[in-house]
Amino acid sequence: MDKVYGAYLCTGCGIGDVLDVDALKSTAAEAGIPMQDYPCLCGAEGRALIEKDMAEKGVNTIVVAACSPRVMQKEFDFGKNTITIRANLREQVAWIAAPVKKEGEEAAEAPAAEGVDEFLQELGQDYVRMAVVRAQKTKKPEPYIPESMNKRILVMGGGIAGLTAAREASKAGYEVTVVEKEEVLGGKAVNWRKQFPLSYPYAELEENSISRMIAEVESDPKITVKTGTEVARVSGAPGDYTATFKPTGTKGEWDAPAKVTVDEQEKIEKGEMEDPNAGLKVYTEKNPNGETFGAVVLATGWRSADVSEYEHLGYGRIKNVVTNLEFEKLAKEGKVPANVAFIQSPGGKEHDKDFPYCNSVTSMVALKQAKYVREDNPDGKAYILYQHMRTPGNMELFYKGIQSDDGIFFTKAAVTKVEEQGGGLVVEAEDTLLGENMNLNVDMVVLAAGMVPTTLDKPTVNLAYRQGPAFADLGLFDGYADSHFICFPYETRRTGVYACGGVRKAEAMDETMDDATGAALKAIQCLESVNRGVAVHPRAGDQTYPDFFFQRCTQCKRCTEECPFGAIDDDPKGTPLPNPTRCRRCGTCMGACPERIINFADYSIDMIGSMVKSIEVPDDDEEKLRIIVFVCENDAYPAIDMSGMHRNGLNKLVRFIPVRCLGSINMVWIKDAMSSGMDGALLLGCKWGDDYQCHFVKGSELANKRMENIGETLGTLGLEPERCAVKQVAISDYDKVPQMIEEFVEEIIEMGPNPFKGF
Amino acid sequence: MSMNVQPDLDFIKDMKRAGGDTLKKCYQCATCSVVCPLSSDDNPFPRREMILAGWGLKENLLGDANVMLCHQCGDCTTYCPRGAKPGDVLGAIRAYAYKHFGWPKGLANLASSGKNLPLLIGIPAVIIFVFWIISGGMHIPSSEDFARYGYGHFFGHWNFRLLAKNVFFIDIIMVPAFLLAVYASYRGVSAMWKLMVKSSGIDEPLYRPTVNQFIKEFLWPSIVEIVQHTRFKKCVTNADRLKGHLPLLLSFIALLFVTAYSFFVQDVLGIFYPSLHGPISMWNPVKILANIAAIALIVGIGILWGNRSRNEAEGTTTRTFYDWFLIWMIMAVGVTGLAAELFRLINVASVGYVIYYLHLVSVMMLFLYMPYTKFAHLVYRTFAMAFERYRESAYVKNPLTQ
Repeated sequence: MDKVYGAYLCTGCGIGDVLDVDALKSTAAEAGIPMQDYPCLCGAEGRALIEKDMAEKGVNTIVVAACSPRVMQKEFDFGKNTITIRANLREQVAWIAAPVKKEGEEAAEAPAAEGVDEFLQELGQDYVRMAVVRAQKTKKPEPYIPESMNKRILVMGGGIAGLTAAREASKAGYEVTVVEKEEVLGGKAVNWRKQFPLSYPYAELEENSISRMIAEVESDPKITVKTGTEVARVSGAPGDYTATFKPTGTKGEWDAPAKVTVDEQEKIEKGEMEDPNAGLKVYTEKNPNGETFGAVVLATGWRSADVSEYEHLGYGRIKNVVTNLEFEKLAKEGKVPANVAFIQSPGGKEHDKDFPYCNSVTSMVALKQAKYVREDNPDGKAYILYQHMRTPGNMELFYKGIQSDDGIFFTKAAVTKVEEQGGGLVVEAEDTLLGENMNLNVDMVVLAAGMVPTTLDKPTVNLAYRQGPAFADLGLFDGYADSHFICFPYETRRTGVYACGGVRKAEAMDETMDDATGAALKAIQCLESVNRGVAVHPRAGDQTYPDFFFQRCTQCKRCTEECPFGAIDDDPKGTPLPNPTRCRRCGTCMGACPERIINFADYSIDMIGSMVKSIEVPDDDEEKLRIIVFVCENDAYPAIDMSGMHRNGLNKLVRFIPVRCLGSINMVWIKDAMSSGMDGALLLGCKWGDDYQCHFVKGSELANKRMENIGETLGTLGLEPERCAVKQVAISDYDKVPQMIEEFVEEIIEMGPNPFKGF
Repeated sequence: MSMNVQPDLDFIKDMKRAGGDTLKKCYQCATCSVVCPLSSDDNPFPRREMILAGWGLKENLLGDANVMLCHQCGDCTTYCPRGAKPGDVLGAIRAYAYKHFGWPKGLANLASSGKNLPLLIGIPAVIIFVFWIISGGMHIPSSEDFARYGYGHFFGHWNFRLLAKNVFFIDIIMVPAFLLAVYASYRGVSAMWKLMVKSSGIDEPLYRPTVNQFIKEFLWPSIVEIVQHTRFKKCVTNADRLKGHLPLLLSFIALLFVTAYSFFVQDVLGIFYPSLHGPISMWNPVKILANIAAIALIVGIGILWGNRSRNEAEGTTTRTFYDWFLIWMIMAVGVTGLAAELFRLINVASVGYVIYYLHLVSVMMLFLYMPYTKFAHLVYRTFAMAFERYRESAYVKNPLTQ
């Protein structure tokens, strides 16, 4: 595309009132693109002005200096064949004229106009310069279309979740293969006597519908069922996976290889360590006999948690102490005794704690099973001894219904002992609602064992990836796949693999079915994005992807190691093998690469570096310090915009550059900034750690690590390491962000100007 | 010490039938105990009573003074987030307790169910009718006799001046009924007291109060409190009930005084001054009091009637035979009594006699069923309130250790 530039300045919304319009226009012209101004650029006439230039002069690369790029996106969309760059002169310039608001104060009025504020004007001109540079450096993206594309969906697991996902995908027109390791479909539900009510009034237990679900799947021509089968490995990438199947319990050369770190690889080569993958095919090798798929739904479910550690409850020692899962089977066989205690929490010394992996489902299962006791025995008595009863949503009605049964008794209680006595069992409990310690004579004790995700024990998903067969960071989340639970619930750390059912979260049948439907739709979204060469999520629709300039690659493996989504494999030498369809376009690889060979069409090392360098740094004015701030565009940038909308004021010495993720910040930009005489660099990104809010999971954490390193480098140059900092901003922090920046700027002022200024 | 818990499913069924159909809805949030204007910080209720009822723990409830202390204000029911109606549940527990403590058992069971209503009316109706036949007084008097003697010759007349025939017959009907009620109440209250002592964990008292001390320190203050309606006044939701219960209680006291006066004047002084027999003059202050009391009684029970009907229509309370039977009986006593007087004044003996007969039947029902119906709260609650004072007193609380 031959670029023809046009720059337009909107003087509406207060921009023209506080800034010198002519000066802005000449700044743009000096930077290389002459600029026109119009009082309301987003209106029909403003648009017509731009469209006229497009028609008459062939303008296709447009700089709009107006409001934030987060607003008026439709108004400034001039079609696929154009590039539009926005300079944020409204939220981040015109609307920050007021003094910085202190916490707890009302926003102050902007000072009465006495000519143009010099500091504000310089800020506006810098944003115009940066926008012009950005327009000059950006390229029109060419989407990556995979050579071969397969739209079949692989569903791992044939329980409620897997069957639902398969049916839903099939109904939407996709071919599905369901793989179940047992000989029959149905999963755990096969052994259920009844199921929870699924519709109003949520009062009566329903007949188990699993056989209907199995029949539907088995008779569906679009669904292939493989029972007694396991997935040995899944290799490839979304749109082009190759799955190797094997009979349950067997081993083969196509089993997924374990992760081998760089250090371990060295040891293996020296013979100091045994190769864990001896006899297995290399992970990059494609099985010519494998089946190809486009996306994977992981519905491998859960297992019952181990409760034998609670010795006072006697599980494993006393015959009639069973888990809820075992009791369900007994109930199905019709072996329900008349007096049963359902223990929901281990009690003992740790009164308030629940059994491991206990949850709302185990509460509801106790309600269901108590009903069995009543159904099978006219004088049956069921005791539910709990610390917490959890019956979310409509299941509260189910709880109420069970409660009203004459023979079902509830009390909060700390069970201290279960022992055999004269053929029966005695349950001792303290701290009961009855106001005193009590003991119960029962025939059986049922323990509320929790639901452990299958991913805790084994990789399960068995990916043939450079970063190993399992999901990443399972240890942080009790074995559940890290899924950015709130923002993107179905996604895992592996694009194209969508978890649902018990493997994702302990959930009851109706929730599982919703969940499985969601996962199936997400898998379909993946297929229908990959085939057009756009990102699936969270940057849905993004046509760019990381482009590697391999001639300069030093095989340092940082990109393959640091990619939070395992998108990059490598060959035996360590040269990266990117998989664009696995990629989420966060740019973490771009930030990681010391050779700076990874770039996106519209987001590159050179582009941002040039923007940094385009900022005018006065070298003769100690008042006019310049601080570069790289801002995460997902949360921090909107927070700053909102701060502007609230007229909270903002320091005028800082220059914001939005980035895809802090992870994408290449440290060369910081060096660029410092060597061009800027006085400080700040990174504003999401919270990291266990409760991270980072859209790209690891980005802000990695940026923090890299900044610590660069701090040391600055130290060797005689610069204070404190000139560079990272701060965590949540999207709701718009009230705090100006103060946060103010504090950083004050620290820089304290340190004085960058001594390299003017060199 | 831990309590062996054996839920009694039949007790739960009984509760549910007796107006406590909502009892299992309770999920122990204790809102009821917080809003109850009558429960104290030391002895909050009815949260615990609700779970005991839900678990069918009969023994614990029968000895629970709190059950009797409840005045069924309904504040708990209003604020219950689950619609468990603790007020009604406690009412049902009381109904069960009256039946449980009742003696003789047969009569207690009979009086506890609406199905037995024909029998409950039939027994006194037949007894009085039989005595009426036996007495030989069974004929409608002339209007002069009626004007002169009123209902004084209902059971006929003889010239044995130490004991009028009418008085004799009324006594042999009413006195045994009354004595039975007194004895049954005594048995019931003592049984309850024993259980209350046991379940409050009161050890052997340091020393037992004498009867005098008991009356002076515990019983009399409770009675004063009852008459003053101190606790009723704390009720918020059902505040209107005070307007009915207060006149009703005062009318009962007034009518007790009138009866005693009439007994003394007619049956004691009448022996020496036969002219004192016959209806009391309408202008006699006592007669004026009696008439005011009779009207107060009808008005009071009328208010309670209306109140309950309204609450039932609004669904804030459950309709039970237990609650209505007492209202019906008192209304019957009031209406028949006043109507009998009216017919005497307008001198229509035929109708008057039939109404007077019904009046006797209703009064006998009130006496006979007192210990087993809701009327029993008269004694049980009074003694529970005395117990409440007792358990806090220095007799049982060793000031050195507690």
